[in-house]
Amino acid sequence: MGTLKAILKAAVLVSAAFVPLSAQWLHYPTPGMPRTADGKPNLSAPAPKTPDGKPDLSGIWRGPEDKYFRDLAADGPAAPMLPWAEALFKQRHDNLEKGHPSERCLGHGVTDYDAAGTPRRIIQTPGIIAILFESYNHYRQIFLDGRPLPKPTQPSYLGYSIGKWEGDTLVVDTTGFNDQGWLDMEGHPQTETTHITERFRRRDFGHIDLQLTIEDPAAYTKPWTSNLHLTFLPDEELIEDVCDNERDAQHLVGK
Amino acid sequence: MTASAQWLNYRTPGMPRTPDGKPNLSAPAPKTPDGKPDLSGLWQAAQGKYLNNLAADGAPAPAQPWAEAFFKKIQASDGKGRPQERCLPHGVTDYDALPMPIKFVQTPGEIVILYEAYNHFRQVFLDGRPLPKDDPQPTWMGYSVGKWDGDTLVVDSGGFNDQTWLDDGGHPHTEALHITERFHRRDFGHMDLQLIVDDPKAYTKPWGAKLTLNFLPDDELLENICENEKDFAHIVGK
Repeated sequence: MGTLKAILKAAVLVSAAFVPLSAQWLHYPTPGMPRTADGKPNLSAPAPKTPDGKPDLSGIWRGPEDKYFRDLAADGPAAPMLPWAEALFKQRHDNLEKGHPSERCLGHGVTDYDAAGTPRRIIQTPGIIAILFESYNHYRQIFLDGRPLPKPTQPSYLGYSIGKWEGDTLVVDTTGFNDQGWLDMEGHPQTETTHITERFRRRDFGHIDLQLTIEDPAAYTKPWTSNLHLTFLPDEELIEDVCDNERDAQHLVGK
Repeated sequence: MTASAQWLNYRTPGMPRTPDGKPNLSAPAPKTPDGKPDLSGLWQAAQGKYLNNLAADGAPAPAQPWAEAFFKKIQASDGKGRPQERCLPHGVTDYDALPMPIKFVQTPGEIVILYEAYNHFRQVFLDGRPLPKDDPQPTWMGYSVGKWDGDTLVVDSGGFNDQTWLDDGGHPHTEALHITERFHRRDFGHMDLQLIVDDPKAYTKPWGAKLTLNFLPDDELLENICENEKDFAHIVGK
């Protein structure tokens, strides 16, 4: 290969080294992205709407600061736990989170996928919203077609979700969780009676406010909330992130 | 009702039905508001044989000697070492041929395929972007772009790692693999899928299979997260 080509190729490789691992699909410009006069993404543009007039939550979003992924109650006050839940939470904390399902490549649940910093893509159609998580290459469906929550259900990590619009806010109800998942990395307990409500509001093009409410009389004395903020990631793409159990297991810490 | 259908047997919204309320799988294939074929819905591969052997229908795959030897070794060991033993993903052809529910969610800019198996997804971009060149990070599921050719969706995929097998029987591939899928929704309930595998480092010429996907009415995906340690003890293989 000629010298010039070699130099150019080296330059591409060097600049590629500074590209975040999460952005490798050619920096393809996000279709429909509002931009300022100099071509930069305009995250303060108005929130878009779908053809049928609903708020459009579509796009790739980054999660909030890490503290909420570790502890949904990071902003205080402490979650109102029943004594058994408090004891389990403390034990998980003391054991450096040993036993978290993600150690075994089981992924996360609703609250910790919401709070994770890693990108997720929201795909919105009139009948379903699908959320694609870069982490674990998992997805979640939210049904907007009026179906009720199912009973009984096979307990699951991600539960069963239905959503409805209240003005500009999407209100999502999720039940049908198993008792294996943890609500966050520190280990706030989840049980088969956990009911999560998420309120998604796209404040402007680049920002979603996401209020989580956790309700579970089997673990908590009253409902409690966590307020998260998602930020739009322009001109990026999800990158595959498959958990390889045997490759990573040897690096786990925990007592 | 299969174990994979537990959401209250909720009736599929917009499902064409006969006068007695049964799903009408022979109704015409639907279109999106912008006039494209609508592939949305819950589907499942009609025949399991392609999962075991993508060349099940006809001549053996035109394998190069190393690929033929690999395939024979896997056949002799009953599939030992298949990545799914360790909860690692199926590849594109394997997911296509797997008789478990998959859901197509179609928007103008992309189709996302949600797999019941492993709770994984795959994105097919319809927005005109080219496949990434210049050594994209090789992945299990590759990178996929699609375009309409009349009523057929033609999907091109590349950028694969060499870890997956094309089928459970053990047809190997390399990072040079390029897959073409041609999806044609023949009527409401049936989709033809022509798969073409092109990997000059493993096969002397392109080859493939013609699959059928059947629409699954009044059904839903069920969470199916692979639990490595629970299932590992049951793996067969010599």
